[in-house]
Amino acid sequence: EENFLSLDDILMSQEKLPGRAESALPRLAVLLGQGAGSAESVPEGSKLEIPLWLAKGLHDSKRRIISVELPKIYKEAWRTVFNADANVVDLHKMGPYYYGFGSQLLNFENPENPEIAQTILQATGGGSVLPISDSVCFLQTFIARFRRIMDSSQNAYNEDTSALVARLDELERALFQVGQKGLNDFQCWEKGQASQITASSLVQNYGKRKLAEVDG
Amino acid sequence: GDLGPFNPGLPVEVPVWLAINLKQRQKCRLIPPEWMDVGKLEEIRDQERKEDTFTPMPSPYYMELTKLLLNYASDNIPRADEIRTLVKDTWDTRMAKLRLSADSFVRQQEVHAKLDNLTLMEINSAGTFLTQALDHMYKLRTNLQPGESSHSQDF
Repeated sequence: EENFLSLDDILMSQEKLPGRAESALPRLAVLLGQGAGSAESVPEGSKLEIPLWLAKGLHDSKRRIISVELPKIYKEAWRTVFNADANVVDLHKMGPYYYGFGSQLLNFENPENPEIAQTILQATGGGSVLPISDSVCFLQTFIARFRRIMDSSQNAYNEDTSALVARLDELERALFQVGQKGLNDFQCWEKGQASQITASSLVQNYGKRKLAEVDG
Repeated sequence: GDLGPFNPGLPVEVPVWLAINLKQRQKCRLIPPEWMDVGKLEEIRDQERKEDTFTPMPSPYYMELTKLLLNYASDNIPRADEIRTLVKDTWDTRMAKLRLSADSFVRQQEVHAKLDNLTLMEINSAGTFLTQALDHMYKLRTNLQPGESSHSQDF
């Protein structure tokens, strides 16, 4: 699940989610970005944009405080685009944490009742639960884009990769960097740099090695 | 271990590190391994291109040996440049095959794959990426079953 200490996960859970206040929230207007006065309350039924971590905390099983709806990117219309050709989509623009955020959304409705869980598994899709087809969609999207990521990360040596990476979401970017590192390490070995002793970058930054410049 | 005796003019088998060291001190001449020959390497390269599976390589360290010998003892190896090109070609073909098989592995969501005749160098070059990608896939796949544990707190 989410790693508490992972910076990526923390940033990811800051992403906003559209929702609706189910009941009046006294004096929380400023907190939720709705009003200027400190005593204002959020009336029932008003639309809110809240970050994921807040939504998770407020969304208890009684469902009386907040209800959330899926961001557009995870809805039916976009799913057909993904099924058509997942490589085309600019995942970074869609929310830089497409996979992580989507996985969290899946876990949103935590039913108390195991039978409900079973029904969800059989894809009834009630309320704001993501039906089974969405989780399959993530996997398929990932698989479809995997090849492109692998090929581009293994073949772009010393080139400017910003164009390639621009359309990947954070998870894919991390994967890309792993691939690049593998490639760079190999090239380094091949050039024979692996057995040369080089000054560590930390030490160079200390500025202690200025003897050469001091003379003269 | 014990090595020698070293008599001038007589070929002797030594570990690679010693051979390189002696060569650098100009005390010996290296004899290339019998597979490091243009004809043999051409055969291997063609077979690699033809087959879908990986051909067994003459030595599990062919990349490392080639690099060392060609860097330090290229004057002792006939047609060194051609050999370098041939080995590089074979390496490229094998890596491409590895990637292709990784891609089909991921697409079909297999759980188990067996790859024969790969050398460590190849595995390490492609391995980290593949294992990380598979980790992510696993996480995405386990999302298909919503958790039984509830995270909510009661107020």
